[in-house]
Amino acid sequence: MELFTTGNFLAILGASVAALAGCGSAIGIGYAGSAASGVLAEDPKKFGSTLILQALPGTQGIYGLLIAFIILNKIGFLSGGMADLTAVQGGYFLAAALPIGVVGIVSAIHQGKVCASGIMLISKKPEQIAKAMVYAAMVETYAVLALLISFLIINGIAI
Amino acid sequence: MSIVRMNKISAIGLGTVKAELISELMDLGIVEISSQDSKLTDPDWISYIERDGNENEVLKLDSKISKINTVIESLEKYDNSKSPIFKTRKIISSGEFEKTLSSKDKIEEKVEHIFRLIIELNDLITEENKITANIISLKPWVGYSIPIELGETNYTSIFIGVVPNILGVENLKSRIEEKSKNCVVNLIGSDKDQNYLSILCVKTEKEDVYEVLKQFGFNAVIFKDIEGTAADNIVQYEQEIKVISEKKSSVESEISTFVMNKGDIQLLYDYLLIERDKLKVLNSMLKTKKTFYVNGWIPERSKKSVESVLNKYECWYEFEEPQEGEEYPILLDNSSFVQPFESITELYSLPSSTNVDPTALMSIFYFIFFGLMLADVGYGLIMSIGCYVILKKFNIEGTTKKMFSMFFYCGISTMFWGVMFGSWFGDAITAIAKVMFHTDFVIKPIWINPIDEPMTLLIFSFIIGIIHLFIGMGVKAYIIVRDGHPWEALFDVGFWYGLIIGLALWLFGNSVIPGSAAVGRWMSIIFAIGLILTQGREKKNIFSKLLSGILSLYDITSYLSDVLSYSRLLALGLATGVISSVISVLGSLGGDGIFGSILLIVVLIFGHTFNIAINGLGSFVHAARLQYVEFFGKFYEGGGDMFNPLMKKTKYIKITKEVI
Repeated sequence: MELFTTGNFLAILGASVAALAGCGSAIGIGYAGSAASGVLAEDPKKFGSTLILQALPGTQGIYGLLIAFIILNKIGFLSGGMADLTAVQGGYFLAAALPIGVVGIVSAIHQGKVCASGIMLISKKPEQIAKAMVYAAMVETYAVLALLISFLIINGIAI
Repeated sequence: MSIVRMNKISAIGLGTVKAELISELMDLGIVEISSQDSKLTDPDWISYIERDGNENEVLKLDSKISKINTVIESLEKYDNSKSPIFKTRKIISSGEFEKTLSSKDKIEEKVEHIFRLIIELNDLITEENKITANIISLKPWVGYSIPIELGETNYTSIFIGVVPNILGVENLKSRIEEKSKNCVVNLIGSDKDQNYLSILCVKTEKEDVYEVLKQFGFNAVIFKDIEGTAADNIVQYEQEIKVISEKKSSVESEISTFVMNKGDIQLLYDYLLIERDKLKVLNSMLKTKKTFYVNGWIPERSKKSVESVLNKYECWYEFEEPQEGEEYPILLDNSSFVQPFESITELYSLPSSTNVDPTALMSIFYFIFFGLMLADVGYGLIMSIGCYVILKKFNIEGTTKKMFSMFFYCGISTMFWGVMFGSWFGDAITAIAKVMFHTDFVIKPIWINPIDEPMTLLIFSFIIGIIHLFIGMGVKAYIIVRDGHPWEALFDVGFWYGLIIGLALWLFGNSVIPGSAAVGRWMSIIFAIGLILTQGREKKNIFSKLLSGILSLYDITSYLSDVLSYSRLLALGLATGVISSVISVLGSLGGDGIFGSILLIVVLIFGHTFNIAINGLGSFVHAARLQYVEFFGKFYEGGGDMFNPLMKKTKYIKITKEVI
């Protein structure tokens, strides 16, 4: 249990939690991908437009990576000279990672579902792709807000 | 910079000049012919006129077109020359077009010939499939040496069949032996599901044997039209397949000799498309015995050229302004910078004719937002150069062309913001300098580095967002004033301007101009009261007027969420920047020296390709979303129909008037 009062461990745990947003992206892209293959069976020419929609839920994973990287960078983990953090400081980093870690997973899964139905939509009406993308971008808004909060917290932590 | 004003045109002329007139109007390509279904049911008209057009001729041409399409598709299969990345129409002069068409009969003959070959090929393929299926069904019986058609001799019955192999053959044999002494059961073969059996028994005992076999799930196998043993037949079939595949390849090679005629056949295809459209447009026209009537839309500025054509053919005609509120087809007209951004408007929906064309205002913000979110000199350069080369090298048209030109401009914006933020392929240059040359080389941003000063960029994003929203509300006010309700514009837009500015001053004003918070407070209160008093003006009694007024203040949350939405400008900008630095860090892991340098180059190339793809897509989608949801949401009304003039809508060639 001593580990959980070590500041550096808590900070690294934070980076890992942030990177978990990738779980959501993987699930979301999976949903969209299986829908896309179904559409392609009918019309292989739609590869390009379905790929665009499939890629959309991938951003949450990137946001998670982004926060993880910023945390690791800030505590000096990447450059080798890791700062000595107090338990409180480490806890701050962990707390900072929670918004993107949690919201990222949920929003990516649901964005994946929206993208999958968007792919169904463009299989029937290819000219409606812009609207399908906007519906998907509506879900992503909340991942963007979470990313922002995570980022601002990290930015405010003094070490 | 707006929606092109349309006029309604009606014309009456003699039936004798109809075909020529249509052909000339098609060359002009500026008249949209409207359908006349409503007049056909109008009692004032119905006694004089009838529908023009000949459905049968159109159908005939359509079937010819689809035949040629089949031919072109199969020729493309045998065409070994490299196909270009973008399908573009070949430009030919009208003289060349006419010249090729003079040998139209010959081309049509060739099409017929190729079509026959295609049918022959398809027949051969069907035949081949049938024989292959036969071979597969005969395969298990290779070991059966009695001719298959032999069903009986004078005293015995012979038959073959399958049983599921879950029940053992030995078991079956012993059961048959109980019933009949004079029966031979042979196991010819077996696979994972079935045993293949041949049975030979005395005729009189056939019924008994069958009874037992049935209990074991026996299914008799009967081959029709086959004589001789299975093995002999398979050998024969295989020979037939050989013959067929030889025939097939000779037919295929004959088809491929026609590949060089593909150009002519495509030209014929386009010619027939034009002729079909000429006939089809008649369906939207009306006729009497000697005259015709046509009605449609024409851009106001193009009246002159159509007038001269109509005069030439001595038609009566009349131009009419659209009536108040009447919807007309939409054609957008914008400057060369704004025009490519029409593709973003088109992707959403064209404006209705009572609305305005948002493209000009939208283009500026799209340009800024896209650049702000991708923000890298290197990425912008790649995008701009790539799009420029494609636009120069290929003769692409329509929406695709608009898209590429738009990304060309967006690339420039991306470079601009890259310089502002000091991002040149992220910090790749710094990493290269460190690994390869052991020097510290940093390109300083002209403005700020968003990773170090996110708050500055966040506030900048909100400010630019508020400007964007205010312009959207301004357009709404413009539309309301234009439609003759200046007071409503003041209440619905002016008061909100006041309230939002007041609140902003109240909350943040003191940190910019000391003392302005007090002004902001009074502004907020006054305009909030103004909104409460005016927003319920539609309601009848005083209480519901007040109630709706107070409830309208709740809209403040929607303005707040609109402004917050612009934080994505910062978030996506950070995503590009941070991934770039992740790439540099990963690339530098190999240390210095030759190995480290090679690793760095490889990681940089792959990493930045990935980054430009994923963040380019993100910037495209989110820049569009800010327009569609936040900006268009304030005033825009889509649903317009695109102006669709009668013109030569060809697929493979583009006919120019001048001789090249």
